[in-house]
Amino acid sequence: MLSLSKPFLHWMVLPTLLVLLAIIGYPVVSTVYLSFFGYNLLDFTPPEYLGLGNFKDMANDRIFWISLKNTLYYTGGTVLVSMLIGTAVALLLENLKGPVWSCVRAFVVSPWAVPFVVVAFLFRFMYMQNGGIVNDILLDLGVITNPVSWLNRADISLGAIIVANIWATTPFFFLLVSSALSGIPDAVLESARVDRAGLWSTIFHIKLPFLRNPLVVGSLLMVISNFNDFAKVWVMTQGGPGYATTTLVVYVYRMAFERFEIGYASALGLIWLLLLLLVSVFYIRLLWNRQND
Amino acid sequence: MGKRMDFRKRLASAAMVAFVGLSGPVHAEQVTLTFANWATAEGATRDGMEKVISAFEAENPDIKIESESIAFAEMARQLVLRLRSGNPPDIAQVAGNDTFALALTKGLEPLQGYADAEFLGTLTPGAYEPLMMGEDLIAFPWNQAPAGLWYNKKLMADAGLDPENPPKTIDELNSAMAAIKEANPQVIVLGIDTTNRAFALQSNWPWIRAFGADPVAEGGAEGDEMQAYLGWLRDISEKGYVDPGRKIGEFRPLFAQDQVAFLWDQVLVQGVIQSTNGMSAEEFNQNYGVIPMPTGPGGKGYSFDGGHQLVMFGDSEHKEAAWKFMEYLGTNEAAIRTYTIETNRSIPPVKSIEDPAVAELLDTPVIETFKNDIIPTISPMPFGPEFAEYATVIMAGIQEAVTSDRPVADIAAEIQNQIGN
Repeated sequence: MLSLSKPFLHWMVLPTLLVLLAIIGYPVVSTVYLSFFGYNLLDFTPPEYLGLGNFKDMANDRIFWISLKNTLYYTGGTVLVSMLIGTAVALLLENLKGPVWSCVRAFVVSPWAVPFVVVAFLFRFMYMQNGGIVNDILLDLGVITNPVSWLNRADISLGAIIVANIWATTPFFFLLVSSALSGIPDAVLESARVDRAGLWSTIFHIKLPFLRNPLVVGSLLMVISNFNDFAKVWVMTQGGPGYATTTLVVYVYRMAFERFEIGYASALGLIWLLLLLLVSVFYIRLLWNRQND
Repeated sequence: MGKRMDFRKRLASAAMVAFVGLSGPVHAEQVTLTFANWATAEGATRDGMEKVISAFEAENPDIKIESESIAFAEMARQLVLRLRSGNPPDIAQVAGNDTFALALTKGLEPLQGYADAEFLGTLTPGAYEPLMMGEDLIAFPWNQAPAGLWYNKKLMADAGLDPENPPKTIDELNSAMAAIKEANPQVIVLGIDTTNRAFALQSNWPWIRAFGADPVAEGGAEGDEMQAYLGWLRDISEKGYVDPGRKIGEFRPLFAQDQVAFLWDQVLVQGVIQSTNGMSAEEFNQNYGVIPMPTGPGGKGYSFDGGHQLVMFGDSEHKEAAWKFMEYLGTNEAAIRTYTIETNRSIPPVKSIEDPAVAELLDTPVIETFKNDIIPTISPMPFGPEFAEYATVIMAGIQEAVTSDRPVADIAAEIQNQIGN
């Protein structure tokens, strides 16, 4: 009888490891390698070794710092607000049964089914200064007196994109929290009722602790997803006006595929990867500590 | 047995005849050219391009064209990456700085060996000269698409302006824009591309030059002239004359619906307007006109050519056939009619057209204005390896000027700092 502890069976994962090395390891190693070189795709002379030159340039690159700050705002704002809204809506709809509420649930989830590029185009047209529905509604309500150029004012454009992103991301947290809520054992909720726990007490002391792990995992996924979100920003503003909505991924794209500065783009990508690794480690430790409590 | 052998012999003979007949003389010599282009990637031009390719293949049965549809915005990236991986197409449709960026890779086949002086003499003056890089002709001018200032005669008349006397200077343009805004506050007074992309810098470059600025010259980005241009944009933005952030193509349907008074756009506008609102050519000329850029503080007005070029790659194994196809696209009168004029709504690069029916299509007030008054004002662009960087930096500055209250001097200094000296 073969046992899984047999050493030769361990070798059977080798093909999988080789495939993973080829499709994940090679690009990462290649990016790290290229980040130490001055390498422009238009220049067919061999790449020039710069040591830490690209990283020194990055430290003095105002656009890099702006794009990093914008990325943090974009990711943090989106994840935090959509998590709060998604959780609140899930708690509100939790005990509402019947076909009408099923339809409401489907309606709440529907933005998740819309492709990101379509979301971006929808909001781009909705935000238009001339003929955009957002301005029309706000003008009719008397909230504003003149149409606002939502995506073309440096002070509000990032916020406008974050709103669009929250609209697209909230259903994820709604689904996650709804499924987590349905997993809370009835016995626990019944005990709370027997103990005459009130609504808020039940939410804060019974339900939210059960939601913690799913929310930690979900927010980690969304942090990574939004950190890497290119489509919405590119379609809505292409990083403008000025650099007001330029995020790291947009900046890397411009460097790599408009200026063909692959060396500098690789250095940016390496920092980006390290930041995401830091975030992931933080989240994993959070989960680990929770499990050890 | 004998009958069966006889049947086999006849079958073998028939197969041999069929093989020779079908694949012998034609297939043995037929070459396949790969043609990377966005003409077949876009709905508006796909049919016209495919017709021209079919017509070429019918005339040249020894050449088969394998069209590779690539989006306009993707073309440079795809071609550079394919060059890097040793897999470029034979021919590609390119435009703007992409043509020069590709030439810098040394991956293009110089065309002067195919287009001799006599052939080049048949082209419109100024059509190929900007495509010379040193001694090399790096691309073939497929069509020309310069930009002019289009105006809506009805909106001008509504504002008490004379539609037959459009502005000739930027001061006159400022006055006309003020009158139109006052008479009709809802319209976009000036349609100008302020997006952050390379094409937008091409589009803005003539305006920058009209103010006497040259932001890529030493100290030019923070010079008084550049600040004057940024200040003018800030002013017309604050007065609500422009709608920032729209790509130029997004103004066209609005122009067709009398929602835009002046539009800084290419020659193709007439075709777009007529296909949008169904106007006849006569109605179009009654309602719209085009003029060269009003002269700026520098005393001149300029234009840019947003036309398309064809390049041949040095790795092509069928260069003669590739040149034959390029020459056909650019100079064959049937191809000019089907694609350049009727599909792409642009101007062919040839001096004269023999077919009266094709010549008549080019004998319009709009084309005449472009040929006689606008093409001579085309300003050379600072194309090269740094152009993409210039475009990002300068257009970011222009966007800041149009959309923020940051002092113009600071924006200009920021552009200068980014570009360097």
